[in-house]
Amino acid sequence: MRQLIGAIVSAKPWGFRACLLTVFLLAGCSESSPDARYAKGIYLLLDTSGTYTQELAKAQQVINYLLATLEAGDAFAVARIDSGSFSEKDIIAKVVLDGRPSTANKQKRDFARQIDTFVKQVKSSAYTDISGGILQGVEYLNEAKVGRKTIMIYSDLKEDLPTGYVRDFDLTLDGFTVKALNVTKLRADNQNPQAYLNRLSQWSEKVVSGGGNWQVINDLDKPEALTL
Amino acid sequence: MTTVNLQAALGSWPTFLILLLGATLALYLARQPAHQTIHAVFFALYRMLRTCACTVNKTRERLANRNRDVLLEQGRQHAERDLDKAFFEINKFVQKDLGGYPQLQRDIQETVNRIRDDYDNSREVPTAAPDWLDAVNAIATIKQTDPAAATNGRILEQIHHSAEVQHKENLAAYRKSTANRHRILKAMTPYWRKLAYSVDEVGNRLKEITTRAQSIDQQMLKFNEIVAGSHQAERALKASSITQFVIAALVIAVAAGGAFFNFHLIALPMSEMVGSAQRIGGVKVADLAALVIICLETTAGIFLLESLRITQLFPLIGSMDDRVRRAIMICASCLLLILASTESALAFMRDQIALDLANLRASLAGVDSAEGDSGINSWIPLAANMVLGFILPLALTMVAIPLEYLLQTARTLLGSLAEILLAATVSILRLTASGIKHTGVVVIGLYDLLIAAPLWVENLIRQKQRKAENQYAAQTEEF
Repeated sequence: MRQLIGAIVSAKPWGFRACLLTVFLLAGCSESSPDARYAKGIYLLLDTSGTYTQELAKAQQVINYLLATLEAGDAFAVARIDSGSFSEKDIIAKVVLDGRPSTANKQKRDFARQIDTFVKQVKSSAYTDISGGILQGVEYLNEAKVGRKTIMIYSDLKEDLPTGYVRDFDLTLDGFTVKALNVTKLRADNQNPQAYLNRLSQWSEKVVSGGGNWQVINDLDKPEALTL
Repeated sequence: MTTVNLQAALGSWPTFLILLLGATLALYLARQPAHQTIHAVFFALYRMLRTCACTVNKTRERLANRNRDVLLEQGRQHAERDLDKAFFEINKFVQKDLGGYPQLQRDIQETVNRIRDDYDNSREVPTAAPDWLDAVNAIATIKQTDPAAATNGRILEQIHHSAEVQHKENLAAYRKSTANRHRILKAMTPYWRKLAYSVDEVGNRLKEITTRAQSIDQQMLKFNEIVAGSHQAERALKASSITQFVIAALVIAVAAGGAFFNFHLIALPMSEMVGSAQRIGGVKVADLAALVIICLETTAGIFLLESLRITQLFPLIGSMDDRVRRAIMICASCLLLILASTESALAFMRDQIALDLANLRASLAGVDSAEGDSGINSWIPLAANMVLGFILPLALTMVAIPLEYLLQTARTLLGSLAEILLAATVSILRLTASGIKHTGVVVIGLYDLLIAAPLWVENLIRQKQRKAENQYAAQTEEF
């Protein structure tokens, strides 16, 4: 950069110097950081506990669909809901799409490959730390400085924490949309449907009280289901 | 509390009547100043609106004069340009076609001379009568009884024989000379034809000159009318400008459609070059870059047409030295060609990116590559994209012509619209002023209606007084 500035200053004719300056300014413009206000950010949490692992093939389709719809500058991360999900190591793949379509396509292919590998090699976890995953998602999307922030939870929403883990905090979800995808009914829910409804209302209350929007999408085949 | 009391007070009939009477009396006593005040207020409003109408009308007149001047000036410039063009063309025609007229005249003269010579050569020379005819006559008149008659008869026979031989010779010579004449006359035919063709050609050229002269006469007539500022010329120019505006607007709309299509053709590949994540004022940099390229093409087209003196959006370029103008023309043409080639390359790149995207989506959807499955030869859209990418920028250069017309006629049209708007404002102001004036009269009448009872009493008293005065006047007269 210093050499470039030096070249501009030392250029003899003023016209040539002006041309160099214009090129420099244009180059500067093209190197500026993306305008985050218009970018979308998605943090998708995948439940890997118990029998829900079987649903991951469907989750992979959702991820691929989202990848296809994302545009330049958008941020996308997929993380697993583990025993303790408030951790960077649980992020399976993350990407901020490049402005050039060819690079963005390459990033999308790599992302899809990572997810494919994960789905094929996944081992179910003993516990389900949804709150930790949401907290991690909030941190990630806040750091990404995107315009529209969406956290997607691909889970049955049954939180099961290991001993010693405390998750009784209030979430700060101003400007966030939290979508619960494919919330399957458990065997206990079939016996007592109220348990399922209570689970949904509990999470809804938690998100809304934190300032976020809450949505439940069980029919993923609807065209508007995954519209951001 | 006060409101309740007032309502209670008004609720009782005696109080209400007292108040009514008091108010009527007060209104009656204040009639004169009230009338003056109402009149003053409404008259002031009336005068104010009239003044406003007058001012707006003056502005409208000034605008109308200005519009007229502009229209006539534009018309004059156009007429001058048309006349210049017509004179230039006729000058070119005269130099090119009639410049060879002296040569043509010489050719005609030569042909005529040749024909005349041939004609002279073909003229028949009458054969002279033989001199000895008188002698033959004399011998023939000698009587047959004369002894010398026999001799004469032999002489005559001899003469007859000689005459027949000579006649045959003469006839042969005559036939020969006639054949020669016919041959000469036959040789004259091409010269006649050439002469007729030359004369026809001259006639056609003169007819063309006459037609052009008539056209110039008409243009001169129009020019004179514009210079004189006649209403007919003004009306014609106004009608012409509206038509031109509509046509130019339509063409510009078509060009905008072309530009829109062009934009979509290059916006995606531009994102490969400058990236599409960055935004300026909410618009993607790639979109802005594509727009800049289209604007550059249009600008280069405008400069090209300006340097060719087809348009006159920048009179400075048209009035430049021919060398500089030619340099601008070459630069603009080169820039256009470069940009058109760039767009063609971008169109190629767009096809590649679209194919890559389709492949990615297919792979994400778990389907095999979409390439080759469609049954459509991919080279056809690719070639069409590239051709369009090259042609559209060149086509966009032509937008300068309708743009010039649009700008020129929009001034006249907007001026006319403003004139109509001001005229409508004047009418509304005048109508409002008139309405206010009459409203004042109505309000005064309503005021009098409120105090109708005391006025009626006053009228009665006045009538009585008048009657008494009349009686007094009558008694005075009797006295």
